Amino acid sequence: MVSPGNFLKSTSFRLLAWYAAVFVASVAILLLIVYWITLAELDQQLSESVERETDVLAELYKSRGPESTVRAIQLRIADLRAPRRYYLLQNAAGERLAGNLPPMKPIEGEIVLPVSSLLRDRSLKSGGATADAHPVVAMGRRLENGEFLLVGENRYRAVKAREAILQAFGWGIVITVLLAAGGGAALGVGFLRRIEAINRTTRSIMDGDLSQRVPTRGGEDEMDQLAINLNAMLDRIQGLMDSVKRVSDDIAHDLRTPLSRLRHRLEATRAKLGPGGEREIEQSISELDAILETFSALLRIAQIESGARQAAFSNVSLGRILSAVFEAYAAVAEVQGQKLEIGVERDFSIRGDRELLTQMVANLIENAIRHCPAGARISVSLDQDTGAPTLSVTDTGPGIPAAERDKVFRRFYRLETSRTTPGSGLGLALVKAVADLHGASVELSDSRPGLRVRIRFPADSEIGARKVSTPGEPVTGHAGGEVPDDRAGG
Amino acid sequence: MKILLIEDDSHTAAYVADGLRGQGHEVDHSATGLDGLSLASGGGYHVMVIDRMLPGVDGLTIVKKIRAAGIRAPVLLLTTLGGINDRVEGLEAGADDYLTKPFAFVELLARVNALARRLPLAEEETLLRVGDLELNRLERTVTRAGESIELQPQEFRLLEYLMRNSGQVVTRTMLLQNVWDFHFDPHTTVVETHISRLRAKIDRDFDEELIHTVRGSGYSLGLSR
Repeated sequence: MVSPGNFLKSTSFRLLAWYAAVFVASVAILLLIVYWITLAELDQQLSESVERETDVLAELYKSRGPESTVRAIQLRIADLRAPRRYYLLQNAAGERLAGNLPPMKPIEGEIVLPVSSLLRDRSLKSGGATADAHPVVAMGRRLENGEFLLVGENRYRAVKAREAILQAFGWGIVITVLLAAGGGAALGVGFLRRIEAINRTTRSIMDGDLSQRVPTRGGEDEMDQLAINLNAMLDRIQGLMDSVKRVSDDIAHDLRTPLSRLRHRLEATRAKLGPGGEREIEQSISELDAILETFSALLRIAQIESGARQAAFSNVSLGRILSAVFEAYAAVAEVQGQKLEIGVERDFSIRGDRELLTQMVANLIENAIRHCPAGARISVSLDQDTGAPTLSVTDTGPGIPAAERDKVFRRFYRLETSRTTPGSGLGLALVKAVADLHGASVELSDSRPGLRVRIRFPADSEIGARKVSTPGEPVTGHAGGEVPDDRAGG
Repeated sequence: MKILLIEDDSHTAAYVADGLRGQGHEVDHSATGLDGLSLASGGGYHVMVIDRMLPGVDGLTIVKKIRAAGIRAPVLLLTTLGGINDRVEGLEAGADDYLTKPFAFVELLARVNALARRLPLAEEETLLRVGDLELNRLERTVTRAGESIELQPQEFRLLEYLMRNSGQVVTRTMLLQNVWDFHFDPHTTVVETHISRLRAKIDRDFDEELIHTVRGSGYSLGLSR
């Protein structure tokens, strides 16, 4: 599942956050432009309305004279419920003839009267204190005989409209942000789920289950295309692997069967021959056995590498495996004049294949025994290295040059110096295959002198810790004996 | 001993059947799974040797079916695949032992003999005795001619296995599988080394040798005839 923490860290979240931010920003810019245009338009309307009223009154003055104009102004003021409009008619001496504004110095044209200038004549005001709190846009006009007419309207409506627009825009932005975030999250989680499905599939394929396929929705979008392409690629890989497997199975079967018959025939012939021929036949049989064994080893490595073996994993104790193999080989080393030692700091139980791990440890020890001269010391140990169960085999033999260390895991690769020692050249390849199967790394290093092979299992591979024995007591007592292990047979 | 052989490869079948008959055993052979299954279901065999890969009904199925039918005769499964899961699968199906092809006839013979002798031993005798050699499985003690012999745990298991199969040939592979639980072929002398140590303790100070090397086959423990 997609956890919130994962979502916040994901690429799709960052992508969506960017898109949401750009989306919100562009909506905000759009709204600002609308806001500016609307305000300018409202101001324009206010000016025009004031100018029209001035024109009407000036015309009245011109045609009917001052008395009519005074009456008209008085009527208009009386008609006003809220004092949005302001009038002033004053004579040449600066005395007010009509209106609801204090007399002032005549100014021709459009002016903006601050609120303070309106408050001087409180007697003329009638209610609507809030309305009075806004500046007044006014138009002054000099009339004949030095008289002066002023018509004004306060900005109450423009200010109210601005407030309404701002409020609407505020909500607009909030809704935009919510939509962008919510929609983005919904999209992102959906997207992430599909990515996660692909990741899950690829992980289980890496774990060896090549039959897994990425789920598709049957749509034609890019994600489905990706899934379809991945699946096609997997089909192709599986096809190739199947054919490789078929080829190796065919080789195994087609070559092993005649070789088996040859072996049977040689055995039968040996029985019929005299003592001289018997030796020849016996040698032929050993040669044949070596060939057959190489076949088996190759097939075994191939099978391990295919990962199919993981199905047979069970809980195994690395300490027990180590001491069982140690017991089997201690005497062998002694016969060769070498000393095999064991050191198990503590036991580790992991999920694994006991049979293959046993063979892995045996191969490492055999490798050391084979390549070390008499007098060498070989030690096997199990300990913890930065939290990871680590199995080491260290010897005091000739070692492996640094340049060759990577190559020794190749099949049939043999060091120039060890051409003459017996061995198939498959031992370390199998070690590597078994280690890979268990997710463990194999490190070769110089133990000055000699070789150290370290198998590091994943740090989280341990399934339950317990002490193998009290300190000082050897662990070799009865390892591999009647321990209640999960062995399948034997 | 009456032995059933189910094997489709005529060459292998002839090789095994002739060999077993040469040892004085009575062998019934069947080349297909279906025939084999009906023969096996009839019962009356001491040991059955069954190939895993058969046309029609495969070896695993035969083993499962006869086990379900209550037939207890030991089964030796032959496998061709270099299959490493085969052993576990075979044993889970109810087979008693397995042998990977190609095999030497002595190996097959040794295993058939071991399987045939397994029934009475299922009762797990506490005391194993061969001549003057005695092994107590519970007390984990070994004496020869009344003299106590100290053995390492692995030597004890090795001797126990040899004594349980006394008089029979046990091969190197059988020892590796049953004593060490090694299901691969070590390239070093694990078996030889331990046998020679065991000999040093069991046989060296006594007149009669009990552990014998059978050339080209393996070892056998018993009084020489």
